[in-house]
Amino acid sequence: MKYLIRSIFVSMVILTSSGAPPASADLKVATSLTDLASVAQLVGGKHVTTQSLCRGYEDPHFVPAKPSLMKAIQHADVFVSVGLELDAGWLPLVLPGSRNPKIQPGAKGFVDASEGVEVLEKPSGTVSRAEGDVHPLGNPHYYTDPKALEIVADHLADVFSRLDPTNAVDYAANAKAFDQKMEASLAKWQKQMAPYKGAPVVTYHKNFVYFANRFGLKEFGTVEPKPGIPPSPHYLSEIAERMKKEGVKVVLYQPYYNADPCNQLAKRVGGVAVKVATEVGGVPGTADVFSKFDTLVASVAGALSGKSGGQP
Amino acid sequence: MSSPRNAAVCASGAAWCALAAILAGLGCASALAVAQTSSMFSNLANPAIGMNALFSGLAAHNLNQPYGMQFDEAEISLISVVDPYWTLTSNIVFTPDGVDPEEVWVRSTKIPAIQLKLGKIRGTFGKHGMLHTHAFPFIQAPIVMSNTIGEEGFKDAGLEASWLTPLPWFSELTGGVYQAVGPDDEHPLDLGSTRHDNVPYLGHFKNQFDLGGETTLELGQSFLQGRGSDGHRHAAWGADVTVRNVPATSSNRHGWILQSEYLQKTSTVGGSTIREQDGGYASFQYRMSQIWWAGIRVEQARRSFTDFVVDDVGSPVPAKVTRASANIAWMPSEFSFIRLEYSHAKADAGIHPTDDRLAVQMSYTIGYHPAHAY
Repeated sequence: MKYLIRSIFVSMVILTSSGAPPASADLKVATSLTDLASVAQLVGGKHVTTQSLCRGYEDPHFVPAKPSLMKAIQHADVFVSVGLELDAGWLPLVLPGSRNPKIQPGAKGFVDASEGVEVLEKPSGTVSRAEGDVHPLGNPHYYTDPKALEIVADHLADVFSRLDPTNAVDYAANAKAFDQKMEASLAKWQKQMAPYKGAPVVTYHKNFVYFANRFGLKEFGTVEPKPGIPPSPHYLSEIAERMKKEGVKVVLYQPYYNADPCNQLAKRVGGVAVKVATEVGGVPGTADVFSKFDTLVASVAGALSGKSGGQP
Repeated sequence: MSSPRNAAVCASGAAWCALAAILAGLGCASALAVAQTSSMFSNLANPAIGMNALFSGLAAHNLNQPYGMQFDEAEISLISVVDPYWTLTSNIVFTPDGVDPEEVWVRSTKIPAIQLKLGKIRGTFGKHGMLHTHAFPFIQAPIVMSNTIGEEGFKDAGLEASWLTPLPWFSELTGGVYQAVGPDDEHPLDLGSTRHDNVPYLGHFKNQFDLGGETTLELGQSFLQGRGSDGHRHAAWGADVTVRNVPATSSNRHGWILQSEYLQKTSTVGGSTIREQDGGYASFQYRMSQIWWAGIRVEQARRSFTDFVVDDVGSPVPAKVTRASANIAWMPSEFSFIRLEYSHAKADAGIHPTDDRLAVQMSYTIGYHPAHAY
């Protein structure tokens, strides 16, 4: 029996050791969102490899906590969470399941990407689920604001530099280049969106708040009556009436939301429902954060112009 | 401001005056200290707290009980990081029969590849046995559960280590040792010998494969053994297979789960192993929309006891029981559901050859509730 126990223990140690990644200068970065993986790749450059657990066309609130996700991050050096409890429905299973002490909350390799971001819609009083599945720490969809991603890039450069000081200069230079490119791009996107300042839009969920805030759009309402609650026919009639009255013609929704109520609303008001990606990889042509915003801005501007029907 | 009377007292006894001044000063200091240190009782590090309340109603004409609604349980969960090395999870269950510290355990967070669980735990055996009552896919647990490892799984004090092997897919090997326990209502498997060398132990092997981006295949094998209060070896064996589909673009609106599990209880007497109760189930759950789920299940349990299989004086008798169940659930949000379930069963012993019943269950969750395992 003693021999058996010793053999099992020795085998476990050997196999665990042999399963460790080969020595390499690369940082293995895993993220909860594709946008964070994109920023991490642009900041880390050739010194990092990245992967996102949530795919761009998948609802980040409801990622199935598959054991294979735990396996995927077993040897990650860094895990970047979107924070503000957006991934709280699945990350508490996936992170411990990875058995990777380097990326558990509190460890050097765990990053809350929302740190330093100016959070919108922070509840001022008591949080009640009578208002639906509200995010108690504020709206977590800050990755729809280009400026917020600059903060994330700077944050990641600091983290990567601490974990891999040899390449700290590269990380800092990459973050600076990222910020400069984002500023230049933002000026271009703001110019595209300038004619639509104050234009009202309806979105499926409250995940365009940061985008609307940055580009001066007015969030008229949401297709879901409250966060996480699907719309009833009565509610759809009610919001359609309000939209008609105020002349709201554009409904925006992500690939992971139910298109039916969005299309119904658009039909009732004689407007257009546009499927857009707020996450990298959500629709074709959104391979990184820059192309995502290119496509998103073109889609929204096209829909508001009434010419392209939302096609970029 | 001092009154003339106070001044007179001071003049007549400087020592008393000084003492009064010191006491007054201490009083002020004390009051100030209370004001400044109220935050020493900070609640910022309090655990995440949640509660699930479960109610049900049952109409079963073979049972000697009135039709009606009942309170099943309230499960209070407290979860928090202990320190950089451990996280503590507890689920305290209040039922009409009393309070059960169902799970109180710590989990290691610092050991690479291996996770330790220590405390009162739900032993890692099979699939259904890992579920809390409100997460059962059907209101009634499969009959084989209460005849092998326990209706709500194998719950006992012990230590488990689970190793995520270096194989390229998710492959987890779990081993555990537990306190001698049973037989009783919660522990049908007799592992209760008081001999010093009786340390019940468990093994579990789980493999999960991605079949494309939306479908997974999971295979599990489980084994639990120990010495019983009768001095013989008793064991439970299990095997499970689950195929699950979660569409990537509608993960909270559609999907399905096809699952099957087999469990067996054995005794080893005089070198020969005797198969006691055994059985299994196969179920299919389908999510029709964000708020509607439906499911069907067929099951069989052999040499098993269940509530409607009794003799003419009302004593339970073992039987081969076959049951089919169908249910539909309405989930207006992530935090509540109501489900309706019908089942038809037949038994080859007892005074009721068949049993039909209708059950309804309501579940409500407040506060923090940890995500359910995939």
